[in-house]
Amino acid sequence: MRAVLWRAISGQRRDVVTGAVLGAVHQAGEVMVPVLIGVVIDQGVAGGDLPALARWLVVLAVVYVVLSFSYRFGARAGERAAERAGHTLRMELVERVLDARGGAEEGRLPGALTNTATEDAKRVGAVNMSVMLAFSALAGIVVAAVVLLRISVPLGLVVLAGTPLLLFLGHLLSKPLEKASEDQQDRAAHASGVAADLIKGLRVLKGIGAETAAVARYRVTSGDSLAATLRAARAEALQTGLVVALTGVFIAVVALVGGRLAASGAITLGELVSAVGLALFLIGPLEVFAWVNAQFAMGRASAARIAEVLAAPHAIAAGTSRAPVPVRGSLRLRAVSHDTLKGVDLEVAPGEVLGVAAVDPADAVSLLSCLGRTADPSSGTVELDGVALADLDPAALREVVLVADHDADLFEGTLRENVGGDHPEALAAAGADEVAGELPGGIDGHVGERGQSLSGGQRQRVALARALAADRAVLVVHDPTTAVDAVTEARIASRLRDVRRDRTTILVTTSPALLAVADRVVLLDGGRVTDAAPHADLVTRNAVYRTAVLA
Amino acid sequence: MSRELLPVATAARTRAVLLDLIRPYRALALGGFAVMVVATSIGLLTQPLLGAVVDLVAAGEPATAITTPVLALVVVALTQGGTMTLGLALVSRLGETVLARLRERFVGRAMRLPLEQVERAGSGDLTSRVTGDVSLIAEAVRVALPEMARSGLAIVLTLGALAILDWRFLLAALIAVPVQWHTARWYVRTAGPLYARQRVAGGAQQQQLLDTIGGAKTVRAFRLEADHTAKVAERSTTAVDLTMRGVNLVLRFYSRLHVAEYAGLAAVLVAGFLMVRSGAASIGTATAAALYFHSLFAPVNTALVLIDDAQSAGAALARLVGVIDQPEPPALDRPKAPRIEVSGLGHAYDEGRPVLHDVDLTIREGERVALVGASGAGKTTLARLIAGIHRPAAGVIAVPGEVGMVTQDVHVFAGPLADDLRLARPDATDADLREALTRVDALTWAETLPAGLATVVGEGGHRLTATQIQQLALARLILADPPVAVLDEATAEAGSAGARVLEKAIETTVEGRTALIVAHRLTQAAATDRVVVMDGGRIVESGPHDELRSSGGRYASLWEAWSGVRPNSKNPLE
Ligand SMILES: Nc1ncnc2c1ncn2[C@@H]1O[C@H](COP(=O)(O)OP(=O)(O)OP(=O)(O)O)[C@@H](O)[C@H]1O
Ligand SMILES: [Mg+2]
Repeated sequence: MRAVLWRAISGQRRDVVTGAVLGAVHQAGEVMVPVLIGVVIDQGVAGGDLPALARWLVVLAVVYVVLSFSYRFGARAGERAAERAGHTLRMELVERVLDARGGAEEGRLPGALTNTATEDAKRVGAVNMSVMLAFSALAGIVVAAVVLLRISVPLGLVVLAGTPLLLFLGHLLSKPLEKASEDQQDRAAHASGVAADLIKGLRVLKGIGAETAAVARYRVTSGDSLAATLRAARAEALQTGLVVALTGVFIAVVALVGGRLAASGAITLGELVSAVGLALFLIGPLEVFAWVNAQFAMGRASAARIAEVLAAPHAIAAGTSRAPVPVRGSLRLRAVSHDTLKGVDLEVAPGEVLGVAAVDPADAVSLLSCLGRTADPSSGTVELDGVALADLDPAALREVVLVADHDADLFEGTLRENVGGDHPEALAAAGADEVAGELPGGIDGHVGERGQSLSGGQRQRVALARALAADRAVLVVHDPTTAVDAVTEARIASRLRDVRRDRTTILVTTSPALLAVADRVVLLDGGRVTDAAPHADLVTRNAVYRTAVLA
Repeated sequence: MSRELLPVATAARTRAVLLDLIRPYRALALGGFAVMVVATSIGLLTQPLLGAVVDLVAAGEPATAITTPVLALVVVALTQGGTMTLGLALVSRLGETVLARLRERFVGRAMRLPLEQVERAGSGDLTSRVTGDVSLIAEAVRVALPEMARSGLAIVLTLGALAILDWRFLLAALIAVPVQWHTARWYVRTAGPLYARQRVAGGAQQQQLLDTIGGAKTVRAFRLEADHTAKVAERSTTAVDLTMRGVNLVLRFYSRLHVAEYAGLAAVLVAGFLMVRSGAASIGTATAAALYFHSLFAPVNTALVLIDDAQSAGAALARLVGVIDQPEPPALDRPKAPRIEVSGLGHAYDEGRPVLHDVDLTIREGERVALVGASGAGKTTLARLIAGIHRPAAGVIAVPGEVGMVTQDVHVFAGPLADDLRLARPDATDADLREALTRVDALTWAETLPAGLATVVGEGGHRLTATQIQQLALARLILADPPVAVLDEATAEAGSAGARVLEKAIETTVEGRTALIVAHRLTQAAATDRVVVMDGGRIVESGPHDELRSSGGRYASLWEAWSGVRPNSKNPLE
């Protein structure tokens, strides 16, 4: 968490320093204003001296120009630092989520992660602005203290000793706020996560008329979030009230000391007025400190959440070897056990089209996660051209082996963007050329969010086209034709071999139309390979296979 | 891009809805405001008390005399702190409660928006409103509300004090007002549209993040990381740039305020100079006037700057109210009929591109009809229209009662499994849930989940298989218990082993209901009373399986493709 905060600040040090320096100049200018008011009264008004009045008003104007411009450019630097740091964190989060080793999404809703990448990143970035403001406030306090010390040493000392004490108390008071604020932010994030999830499932909800129930569910979450927010708000109100009280007491002490000094003749009445004016001025920077403390508390809570995502354990360990070049595309599984798999042995020759029919779909899913390395098998090894997958850099592996998940979403954008460019052959093989024909705008037509303006089968064909267009040495597709009609499926099956010629293809499916075009089919039953032969042979000789595939 | 964002409310409507929301909390609002007034007024006693100290010293009183006003200062500080705590707590209670009601109403309204509208806008538009905009308003509620009360009171009281000194000082001080007025107007005019654009950019960023994070697995598999990172970076940069433009605007606004400040201060000092020279005022009075004016800077700036918060909160609020204010779509009032009667039905998702043409279809009570046809033929569209999810562009649909649908797009709601099921029937007992699960043959696996029915499923939770997900969908339908069931590809995702399990589950699900079953698995079609074939948005064939199979039409070729690779399914009834 500290590391996240520190990086957010040090990454923008130029702007933060510029902002802090200019902010200090601005504060010094603000201190000069009451001082100059005194001078104008003394030398202009009191003596009825018009040239002196004019002169000092010009000086006051100059001070204004300086304080105005230093504020403008200082604050700009500070805000820029805040925004840029937020942006940097956002990108770091996205990169962590997309890290080839995965694991960041584990146990987190996309809505909640999105919230972290927007709101939390922003809050941590805003710490830069707080740093800048804190520094300028400190500068204001120092300048005021110097002026006060020149008026009277004891009075100056009271301010110099009192201010840090006040700051320290402010910090102590913000501690409970931090916890409350963390809880509040967690719940707010959860509430928006729930809302996002319900909105994502809107079609399903409408299908069973469950809108009312969904709204009721959100209301409960929103109520929890409200309760936490109110707790945090109460803590914050208490903190603000205490800081206000402490500040008032501090001013009273300054008045007491200054008043006694003036009464004893140690300082003039004018100096007392200045001192009181400066003590009043000090409320400003001190309040800034209270605010900064609260900001920091929130920033820390957000930084903790960001740090947690950034440090989420990876789902797999990163190997370092590059994939063999040129890739031949042979695969070998040796005694692979994982989830439901119990010691799977399997060899896939380069360029082979292998069918995998799993009696239990869970076996298929387990196999896919081992092949795509979203998880490492609990025992046994998977090898690509004789190199264990675990030794390979997962990102490099995915440039060679593509596991096209059954439920892989399309992305917002055009058909062409989804398929990754112009791939007429892949489009035709997947039957997605027809989709392009039906879409307004053809291949440049938009498919909508997650492809939702396509029909189910159209979406599936586009996803298959995308997998074929990626043209990896090894392609593993999972149930690619479940949502298309039998005629279209037959057409797809007839073109698959051709578009994948000389490259290894694994069809994990129970569709006989697809399995029939495989060179060989293995039957996964009870977590093991129980039979392997061409589809036609298995159909005639294996009853389990027949029920798994033909029913 | 073909995106059509959800509407944004006008300022007047936003105000009206807000007032409407506050109305039930009038007492809280008045109480909170009153306590804040007390707290601020107590705080304003500080200056007169400090003045008293000065007066006592000037009058040559002994040092001990100042103890009393100093003690009074301490009392003021403590009471101000106490009342401020109470006031702030009350004001935030008001603000936060109203905000919670607002977002609840928002979600309530959002859920009932026509699906087409949400999909055209992109769900990111909705989600960014319920997340980003809500938290923006929350911030304003927490900070701006109490500040406004504080500075407003401070300004009024201080100006009053200035007038008591001499009305001419007040006049001199008011020189600053035209500049401030003009600046504020200029700012509101310029900043409004900019803030609206910022909110839109925020929505776009949210949409992209949801797309990328939600699809992270696919992004990794296809090595699209660079592409997606670049897209997020682009949207984030746009949002940052717009924010920086807003910042520059605010800073220019501040600069102009500094000009006003200087003008007013110089005017008060010159007035003091003239009045002292003519003997109309004492030096002390002139000093006091100048110091009073100086103490106005902070609250005046705060108040003017709050315009800024109000602006961005206003933009966010208008986006929430824009959705809340959407007319409730008139209840689908469809003619009642003992059977499903569809006539002259037409539909288009995009204007001018019809996907259904003049569809007529009758389904008898208790009849099971299979709807088949090429991918993209319009089956889902017809099913959705019958289920009442979409409104038809043309034609009439008469139904016997409620229609429940299991959609082609599946979704497992994040949270405990039992909560997912209870969406269909909120008052279902545990026994009801178990019974529904039993009927779709899902109880066994559900009970062996790590925490049984309390297991957290959905995104970020326990992963279910495609079959299990469909079983859940069917169980939801059983719990919702509508007389008409529409099933869209309920077996498609499950592979054949799963499909067999699901086919049995479907049997029990549609028992006692009129059913329309969209199916690519033709074994399923073969088991129904009648098969309806669609092509290019029209019904092209209709009749019992056996009849169509031998008629040489569309269905015959579909059946041939299907059964050709399944030699033993030539006739499922045998
Ligand atoms: N939300 C949408 N917006 C725009 N067009 C759509 C939308 N949904 C479907 N379409 C289009 O309407 C046509 C019919 O789609 P529909 O989903 O009804 O087909 P289907 O028969 O169910 O196909 P499948 O068997 O592939 O599911 C298709 O051309 C599709 O692209
Ligand atoms: Mg469909």
